[in-house]
Amino acid sequence: MVWSFLHPLLFLVILTVVYAKFSQLPNYPLFALSGMIFWLYFAGSCTQLSNVFIKHSSLLKSLNISKTLYALSEQGAELVNFLIGIIIFFALMYLLGMKITWNLLYIFPIIILFSLFTFALGLILGSLNVFFRDVGILWVTLNQALFFLTPIFYSIDIVPAKYVFYLKLNPLYHLFFIIRNVLYEGVTPSIRHVEYSLVATIVLTLIAMFVYRRTQNGFISNL
Amino acid sequence: MAETVIELKDVSVSYLHNKRGIYSIKDFLLKGAIFSPFEHKSVLQNINLTIKKGETVGIMGKNGEGKSTLLRTIAGILTPDSGVCKVSIEISPLLALGAGLELELTGIENIKIFMALCGKYNKKTIHDYIAEVADFSELTPEQLQMPVKMYSTGMVSRLAFSSAIVTDPVLLMIDEVLSVGDEGFQKKCKKRINDIKNSGATVLFVSHSTDAVMEVCERGVCLKNGRIICDSTSEEAANEYHKLFTN
Repeated sequence: MVWSFLHPLLFLVILTVVYAKFSQLPNYPLFALSGMIFWLYFAGSCTQLSNVFIKHSSLLKSLNISKTLYALSEQGAELVNFLIGIIIFFALMYLLGMKITWNLLYIFPIIILFSLFTFALGLILGSLNVFFRDVGILWVTLNQALFFLTPIFYSIDIVPAKYVFYLKLNPLYHLFFIIRNVLYEGVTPSIRHVEYSLVATIVLTLIAMFVYRRTQNGFISNL
Repeated sequence: MAETVIELKDVSVSYLHNKRGIYSIKDFLLKGAIFSPFEHKSVLQNINLTIKKGETVGIMGKNGEGKSTLLRTIAGILTPDSGVCKVSIEISPLLALGAGLELELTGIENIKIFMALCGKYNKKTIHDYIAEVADFSELTPEQLQMPVKMYSTGMVSRLAFSSAIVTDPVLLMIDEVLSVGDEGFQKKCKKRINDIKNSGATVLFVSHSTDAVMEVCERGVCLKNGRIICDSTSEEAANEYHKLFTN
C-alpha cells in the first residue's frame, strides 16, 4: 500500500531534481508524474505476469481452474495498487497545477485500454517464459529500454527529427500521448492517437490469444 | 450395481515439450531451431478405464510412466488429445506432495486457501476445519503459525493430507503422499482412507509401496509406457509391478 505511492513519489523526486534543470517543459513535475504512474503500472504488471505461471506452478498442476485466472488476479492486484496511487496522485496533481475539468473523465476508458494492452503483453511474456526461462530476464532489459524509448520523462520535442519516426513505432508512445492529453494538458485525447492505440491493443491481444492458446496445454509438463 | 463415476475411453495424452536442448531464447537463436522449437511427447496411449462409485483403485508403475498424468487427466487439469474422459462426481484438488501450498504463508492461511479452493470456505465452519486439520495433522499451534517454507517435508505432507481429507471428499486422489510421513502418521492416514472408503467415496491412490496399495485398495492398475498392462485386483497389479523390475 505504502509502496504504491512512495515508489512513484521517490521516482518523481529523482526525476525532478535531475531533469527539471534541463527540461524546457512548463510544470515538469506534473508532466513526469502523469507518465510515471502509468509506466510503473505497466512495468509492474508485465514483470509480475511474465512470472505468473511459474510462480503458481504447484496450483496449476493440482487444480482444474482456468489458467488465465492466475494472470487476471496478478493484474488485478497491480490495478488496485495503481488505482490507489492514482487517487492519491490526483490530489498531488491538483497541487501541481492540474486543471480539474470534465475532460479528466477520459482517463477511465484510457485506463481500460492501457490495462488490456498491458495484460496482453504480460500474457505473452508469461506463456513464453514457461518454455524459455530467459524471457523473464530478457524482459528486465527490454523493460529498461522501453522506459527510455517511450517519452515518459522527456518530451518528444527534444528528440532529433530523424529519430521521431522510429519512436512513433512504439505503441506505448501513442498510449502515453493520450494519457498526457488528459492528465497534463487537460484536453480531450487526440483521435488519431486513440486510433493508433486501439489498433495496437487489438493486434497485441490477438497475438496474446494465439500464443496463449498454442502454449497453454504444455504448461504443466514444463513447470 | 454401483454407478460409473469415471469413464475413460481411448484416452491419449501428450505433452508439448521444448525440443531437446532448446530451453531458452538463447538456445533458440544459437541452435537455430527456427521452424518449431516444440515437439509432442506421448505420455498416455489408448487408456480405457471405468471406475465405479465406492471403488478404491491403486495405480502403480515406474517413475515417468504416466501415473500423475492419468490423475491429472481425470481431474481435468490436462485435456486429452483424443478419446473421452467423463467424470460425473465432484473432484477435490489433486493431492500431490505440497500441491497448492503457498510457501510464504502460514499453515493456517494455507488451510483457509485450500478450503476456498475446494469451495468449502465459510466463515462459520472454517474454524472447525482448522481445528480438525490441526488435530489430525498433529501440528502444534506454533507450527501452524509458521510459514510453510520452514516446514519439513513430512510436515508439509501432513498439512496437505489433513486439509484434503477433512473436507469429506467424494473423489479422493492421492499422489505419492503417504511415503513421507512417519509410521504413526501413515497408519493414521490409512485408517482415515478406509473410513472415507466406507462412507462410499471413490479413492484413487498412486503409490510405489505395493504393501500400502494392497492394504488400501481392492483394485489395482499397473501402467507401463503409458498403457495399462494390468487392471485387476490390487494383488495381481502389485505382482505385475514387481515383474517390471525383475526382467
